[in-house]
Amino acid sequence: MRRVAVTGIGLITPVGVGRERVFQALIEGRSGISRIEGFDISALKTTMSGICRDFRPEDFFDEREKTRLDRVSQLAIAAAESAARDARMDNGLLDNYDTGVIIGTGFGGQESVEEYCGAYFNGHGRRTAIAIPKAMYNAASSNIAIRLKTRGPNITLSTACSSGANAIGQAFHMIRYGQTERMIAGGADAPVTPVVMDAWKDMRVLSTKNDPPERACKPFSANRDGFVLSEGAGIVVLETIESARERGAHIYAEIIGYGATADASHITFPDSEGEAHAILRALRDAAVQPEEIAYVNAHGTATKLNDISETEALKKVFGSRAREIPVSSIKSMLGHSMGASGAIEFIATVLAIESKKIPPTINYEEADPQCDLDYVTEGARELKATAARIAALSNSFGFGGNNAVLVATGSNDITA
Amino acid sequence: MTRGAVQSVEDVVKNIIAAELRVSRDQLNPETHLMKDLGADSLDALNIALRLEEAFRIKIPDDAIPKFLTISDIVSGVNDHLSERQ
Repeated sequence: MRRVAVTGIGLITPVGVGRERVFQALIEGRSGISRIEGFDISALKTTMSGICRDFRPEDFFDEREKTRLDRVSQLAIAAAESAARDARMDNGLLDNYDTGVIIGTGFGGQESVEEYCGAYFNGHGRRTAIAIPKAMYNAASSNIAIRLKTRGPNITLSTACSSGANAIGQAFHMIRYGQTERMIAGGADAPVTPVVMDAWKDMRVLSTKNDPPERACKPFSANRDGFVLSEGAGIVVLETIESARERGAHIYAEIIGYGATADASHITFPDSEGEAHAILRALRDAAVQPEEIAYVNAHGTATKLNDISETEALKKVFGSRAREIPVSSIKSMLGHSMGASGAIEFIATVLAIESKKIPPTINYEEADPQCDLDYVTEGARELKATAARIAALSNSFGFGGNNAVLVATGSNDITA
Repeated sequence: MTRGAVQSVEDVVKNIIAAELRVSRDQLNPETHLMKDLGADSLDALNIALRLEEAFRIKIPDDAIPKFLTISDIVSGVNDHLSERQ
């Protein structure tokens, strides 16, 4: 079984672009949630979202390329290119059949779908002959391959809010079991559109605490009232530890475990049993003991149901020790970027291990008796090892009852 | 009437190509080749055909599009369709 290292990181989020800026903002407890400006919000109950305002498409694409790419592809390509550059992967390492791409996305090219449907149904918006290649779910992963010349397996998966975590987990296993040598893996989503905002409104799961937007998302707090929709992309470069050492690459962390389950119970209600099993399977896959887990990066959406169910799942797995493990939700700052969130949160977990700093859960105000773990609400905290090595979990749970859990470690023996 | 009636067919074609391919209108002349000179590909050709259909209210048959190589090809192609319509 081959060991797999994280050697490149690309991040585009509502709190900034790039690993250093994003993680610094998270450690400072800065929110990226703001009032929606791009479209008419007068009929909405939720008027805020997480938009990647620092992302400048023109830094990556010329005018013609921009017209060819849906926003989700722009975010994904920019994050993938940044990750490849961060990993110092030159063309020789990418331009081959042993390097693949797996991207998770919940909504795909939603903006392009809406633009075309607007033109089709009521003459609003502009028709284009390339609506299909812009809108198709695999546009992001395919455009990454075209851009970076990766010729290995190119896969798009969609498991709602666990897409990004499933993508990284599957990519990790492909390298571990010898199917590929390197993978570009992660998630991207750009779902902040008029139609999607309206559809979420009718599901009544978005926070309506619009004022001020940056305080809306309150994971695990008794007065939480839902999640905040956002966009973003998080992409990693994965390769074997041996190849990373040979070429002297910086190793952020080692990915050691992946567990995925389906609740098989309800299309939207979470089930702590399925979630707990995903965590257990990830721990078994990683061959770590529960005592070694020093931090949990929670799914922590701030919906009534998720936060209770996730808390229950952690208690099922860790027993009385669950209360001693720091658990934080960076969705309190980034909002919920759907298919990107699992990847962005895995990256935050890796950076927490590397820097030994835990990003906090902000906006926590009132204790909820059903959410009684240590949610790191006072601000960033030092990440302390509970065993010889630091291991941490990143949880992602999605509509459909999809659960994906990743385990990373930063033990000293992996650095070259 | 539409602007197309006032402008020449060539003017409208040049405007569409300049907008679709994000190039300056000044660099376009009748012999400008969409692929060789402007780097267009088959997807660009489809979008240009769509814009031509909208602007001139014509239907461009599938097999006409690959023949749209230069500006003058397009202008004469559009003129043919316009005369067929009359």
